[in-house]
Amino acid sequence: MFFHIQLERNMQLHPRHFGPHLRDKLVAKLMKDVEGTCSGRHGFVVAITGVDDIGKGLIREGTGFVTFPVKYQCVVFRPFKGEILEAVVTMVNKMGFFAEAGPVQIFVSNHLIPDDMEFQSGDVPNYTTSDGSVKIQKECEVRLKIIGTRVDATEIFCIGTIKDDFLGVTSDPGAAA
Amino acid sequence: MSIEPFNRLVRLAARAFYDDITMKGDNQPKTGRGDNRGMAVVVLDALTRRQWVREEDLAKALKLHSKQLRRTLRFFEEEKLVTRDHRKESAKGAKIYSAAVAATADQKITKEGEEKMKMHTHSYCCLDYAQIYDVVRYRIHRMKKKLKDELDDRNTVQEYVCPNCGRRFSAFDALQLVSPNDEYFHCENCNGELVAVSDKLAAEEMGDGDENARRRRQEKMKDMLQKIEEQLKPLTLQLARVKDLPIPEFGTLQAWEARANAAARISGDSSANDSSRSSQAQGYAGTPMPFLGETKVEVALSGVEAIEERAVADTKPTSVKVLPPWMIKQGMNLSKEQRGEVKAELSTDQMSQPDDEKKAKAESEDEKSFQDEYVKAYYAALVQRQEEQAAASKRAQQVENNGTSTSYLSNVVSETPSERQVGMKEKREEDDDVEWEEAPPAGKAFKVADLNIQADYADASGGDDDDGIDWEEG
Ligand SMILES: [Zn+2]
Repeated sequence: MFFHIQLERNMQLHPRHFGPHLRDKLVAKLMKDVEGTCSGRHGFVVAITGVDDIGKGLIREGTGFVTFPVKYQCVVFRPFKGEILEAVVTMVNKMGFFAEAGPVQIFVSNHLIPDDMEFQSGDVPNYTTSDGSVKIQKECEVRLKIIGTRVDATEIFCIGTIKDDFLGVTSDPGAAA
Repeated sequence: MSIEPFNRLVRLAARAFYDDITMKGDNQPKTGRGDNRGMAVVVLDALTRRQWVREEDLAKALKLHSKQLRRTLRFFEEEKLVTRDHRKESAKGAKIYSAAVAATADQKITKEGEEKMKMHTHSYCCLDYAQIYDVVRYRIHRMKKKLKDELDDRNTVQEYVCPNCGRRFSAFDALQLVSPNDEYFHCENCNGELVAVSDKLAAEEMGDGDENARRRRQEKMKDMLQKIEEQLKPLTLQLARVKDLPIPEFGTLQAWEARANAAARISGDSSANDSSRSSQAQGYAGTPMPFLGETKVEVALSGVEAIEERAVADTKPTSVKVLPPWMIKQGMNLSKEQRGEVKAELSTDQMSQPDDEKKAKAESEDEKSFQDEYVKAYYAALVQRQEEQAAASKRAQQVENNGTSTSYLSNVVSETPSERQVGMKEKREEDDDVEWEEAPPAGKAFKVADLNIQADYADASGGDDDDGIDWEEG
């Protein structure tokens, strides 16, 4: 799920940036530091949408670096248990398949794949129904449900299932080829 | 507000879920004597026949120790079936409740000094029908969902075990376990090929035994699910029946008391003022009947008085019996509605019952015979009254046109909410007619007789209420 929230961060800036463009430098550094990172609590920071407040800088003794408390708005992405996501399959093997929804990695183990889908090994390993009408392979899109998340300080990993109503392949590049 | 379908729901739920609940004291040894299974059902059944009730009175009525009852009620409060209210009250406060129970309005107010001397905490309890409906549905839903999820292995995070070193991994470690060389997961420790663990309970077994255990477990699960469907069928049917009905609400204790007393005041219930009666009601867990005023039918028939008096006399010794409010309601309907309408109601009721519930049919037949008797008595009284009225109206004719009288009569025969006003008007016009003055108590007594019929019926059928359902053990 996406959220638009306000976060706060203490930014350290080198003295060489102190000048007329101090604020721009600070914002640029903030984007570089924060976007694409993951915090266990808030999820992935997708994009910074605005800087609300930059507090008074504090000069750190000995180094000359200055610490600014910065409040900023950002869009975060945080997967939840029970959430339905659309994801792109990245790898298929006998144990199940991996998929990505943006920055989130999801693993769907074979017992959470419908029973009528069988693993087919080969050049393009895939899961296929007995009549061949549905095929899960690399690059195809699936809709899945998160049944568990593991949130580390810097990473979120999810377990998903497609063994439920309205879940499964949504578009299949292999079928067109 | 028909409460009976909801009471049936409570009784079914009690037998389904609380039949073998033991209310054990903390330090009570489990002896044969301490085994009080089934008490929960008795308490819930008793509550279906009451509205707000003081717990001491309930304990007395059920011949239970008040501590034991309180433990049970606390359990039901946690189960969200029962609302409880506790308040410190003086003798006066208790009397307000008694007043509500006896549906009487004019209790003497105790003096201030007396109040301060005795302040006791009294607890009251009452079924929370709205919540019961939700709780029962939720309970069944959870039971089924748990089994179904387990059955399809849904929502379970797969576990893997290394056959070489026995180390366990979960699907969360999947990223670290993939190997570039083959299709399998490999142990981080010894690079052995990992094996999926089928389910948590059979986790110790591995290999072929694993599959078998899983199959056995699935069979068991399916079996349980089927049993749930079968055995809870009466309950689910009742839930479906109750679904679109308005849920009976008694409100808070205070609101209920206020309403009850107000209702009593409006109806000017003279017989309830009888102190012996009210104290009786109180002593025997006083079946609260505050809504009598709502559905009361006052038939202004002075000719019935003789019958009424007999009825009252008959009632006195048995009036201590518990009178289920829902039955009273039905009785009132009968006296109020035309007979044909009631019959139609009954038959639709029967149709909605499942076929196997022969008991219900028998009950309604039972009920019909009582109603028949009652209706006979009613019409006999009515004919008698009509004759008298005819004589009276002849007298009235000398003074004025007899139009009012006859129209009044026909009003009485059919149902009339405005009957009293007509009576008043009559009284103004014919000051010498004493019969009108006596009319309201007459109607009252009639009502009591009616209740008694219903009470007997309740007594007769109450014992084996739930014979229609067979709860299978295990
Ligand atoms: Zn190993």
